[in-house]
Amino acid sequence: MAEEILLADDFVRQLMSVGEVDILVGIPSFNNAATIGRTVLAVEQSFQQGFARQRVALVNADGGSEDGTREVVMSTRADKSSTVGGRGLTSLRTEQRVVTQYGNEPSAGLALRTILAAADLLRAKACAVISPATSNLTTAWITNLLEPIYRDNFDFVAPLYNRHKYDGLLARNLLYPMSRSVFGHGIRELHPSELGFSGRLASHCLGQNVWHQEDIQDAPEIWMALTAISSDFRCCQAFLGTKERAAAGTGPDIVTAVRQNVGSLFWCLDTQENYWLQRAQPEALRSFGPESDLTCEPMNLNRQRIYELFRSGVQDLGPILQSILAAETMGEIQRVAAQDEEKCRFSGELWARTLFEFAASHRHAVLNRDHMIQALVPLYRGRIYSFLVEHQDSTAKEMEADTENLCVEFEKQRPYLVERWKA
Amino acid sequence: MKVMILQGLSQAYDNLVHMIAIFVPRFAVMLIIVVVGWLVALVLRYVFRAILHVSRLDRISEEAGASQVLRKAALPSISELLSRALFWVVWLGFMVLGVSVLGIPELHEQIARVFQLLPQIFIAILILFFGVLASNFLSRAALLASVNAGHRSPRVWSASIRFVILILAFSMALEQIGLANQTVISAFSIVFGTAMLALAIAFGLGGRHLARHALEQYFGSRKTEPDKGEEPSPL
Repeated sequence: MAEEILLADDFVRQLMSVGEVDILVGIPSFNNAATIGRTVLAVEQSFQQGFARQRVALVNADGGSEDGTREVVMSTRADKSSTVGGRGLTSLRTEQRVVTQYGNEPSAGLALRTILAAADLLRAKACAVISPATSNLTTAWITNLLEPIYRDNFDFVAPLYNRHKYDGLLARNLLYPMSRSVFGHGIRELHPSELGFSGRLASHCLGQNVWHQEDIQDAPEIWMALTAISSDFRCCQAFLGTKERAAAGTGPDIVTAVRQNVGSLFWCLDTQENYWLQRAQPEALRSFGPESDLTCEPMNLNRQRIYELFRSGVQDLGPILQSILAAETMGEIQRVAAQDEEKCRFSGELWARTLFEFAASHRHAVLNRDHMIQALVPLYRGRIYSFLVEHQDSTAKEMEADTENLCVEFEKQRPYLVERWKA
Repeated sequence: MKVMILQGLSQAYDNLVHMIAIFVPRFAVMLIIVVVGWLVALVLRYVFRAILHVSRLDRISEEAGASQVLRKAALPSISELLSRALFWVVWLGFMVLGVSVLGIPELHEQIARVFQLLPQIFIAILILFFGVLASNFLSRAALLASVNAGHRSPRVWSASIRFVILILAFSMALEQIGLANQTVISAFSIVFGTAMLALAIAFGLGGRHLARHALEQYFGSRKTEPDKGEEPSPL
């Protein structure tokens, strides 16, 4: 390992008593006592249904829960008298369960690192990370994440979900098109709550000298996905099911989400430039199941507020944006922001150019990097406003076509990013 | 009488020659010290600049917003500025050494007095520099936070933060060089106190409806406003 990781003695003892495993499922947690029991049961059932002959382990990496989450993980057991799915299947091997507390406060980076360390020490062949907050998790989700790795020798499996057409807009408008155009492989859910990976990829990621970096602590999955791509591991996507909407006020707000995700993406661009600057042609990523599945129920959105925040943001942050963007781009954004609510459109072409200029300025550190990413938030709102207006009545098919057009626009402007990047 | 005048002139001439004989070598030594000092300072400046370049100080300064401040003030980069400062400190040190060789006590005293003030001036400049840096960084952070949260008048908040920090740094710098200590402290107290009082009155008058609304919402005695819709989930 390039960087020593300090694992608790008790955790190492538990892992040693487990020995080697074929399948490992990690559950990062923090005060999830109310829902984690259901997650553990689903994992146990997926082991029994899909991997009855394999050596399996469940690892819970907890961030210091005070609601008895760890105890729930250890005490939850499927009723052996009942049959799974009515088929009477039971695992032929003992399912091992390991619980550890990696710290006194939650950290996505530390949780993933702990699970990777467990996968490395247990020499697991296929691993999955499952969020205990997912309320509609089924055994199929876990099997769909693990099977491409265990049976088809893939190294990284990103999930695909059925979602509402207005959900995941940061992924649809920024993370997916930008990572696809830059890295050449389009991963729809770059910051997923569920993912699968091979033991080889786990060991590779664990050996990277990055774990102390602030930039990946909140969204390490982005770094892991892009590392898998840039290190030539075999990546794919697997459809899991419906991603339920987070209840209002429970998910991260726009500013936090942009800071965490775009910060991680830009950091990866910086640290993995040797790969993407030399990349020749984009390659399609294999998907198991439908690549896009959208629902279109009506939704109560406050478009006017989004528009107001965009307009006032461009006005108030003028000097900051001027130091990040090219004069022509800045002028165009100001023209868009000056238009009426009905006419205001942040085109895909302008959006791609804006993001590439932000990425290049982030690389050249023209300002404090966190400030730069915060300055992107009003522009993201402008793009989202435009997106919401354009797709008020769009069908799933039309929206998919629009996403593809946006990706093509990003691809087209990629040389501009390279030019500004090297300037 | 004539003899006495001649003797006086001769003595004066002898004294002059003696003084010149003493002064010229000393002056030559002083010149040598100054020239050597210039060379040493020049070498140190290049070495120091190279070290700062390796330590990527300019990039850190760029990220912290210090470079922007320097550019606005038509000053060079931070590494160039520091290496130039080192050059002048070293060369001035050699100059003082050279002047002391001349053996003119009054001149030496005056220069020593100026030099005694130099550390204070240097610290005062440092305080001002870091004050400008902090005001720049924090006012920008406040501006971004309030713009993204949709607060009203974000530029006013940002400018207020910049103003308060700059006033604080300026008064600390003046206090450091001991310039009108009492006046500076009193002026600072008056300005700062006035600003705070103005803010308190403005908030009290302008924000009373907001405060009542917030308190009513907090204690649940009033229904929340009808839902105007939400922002779409980013993730």
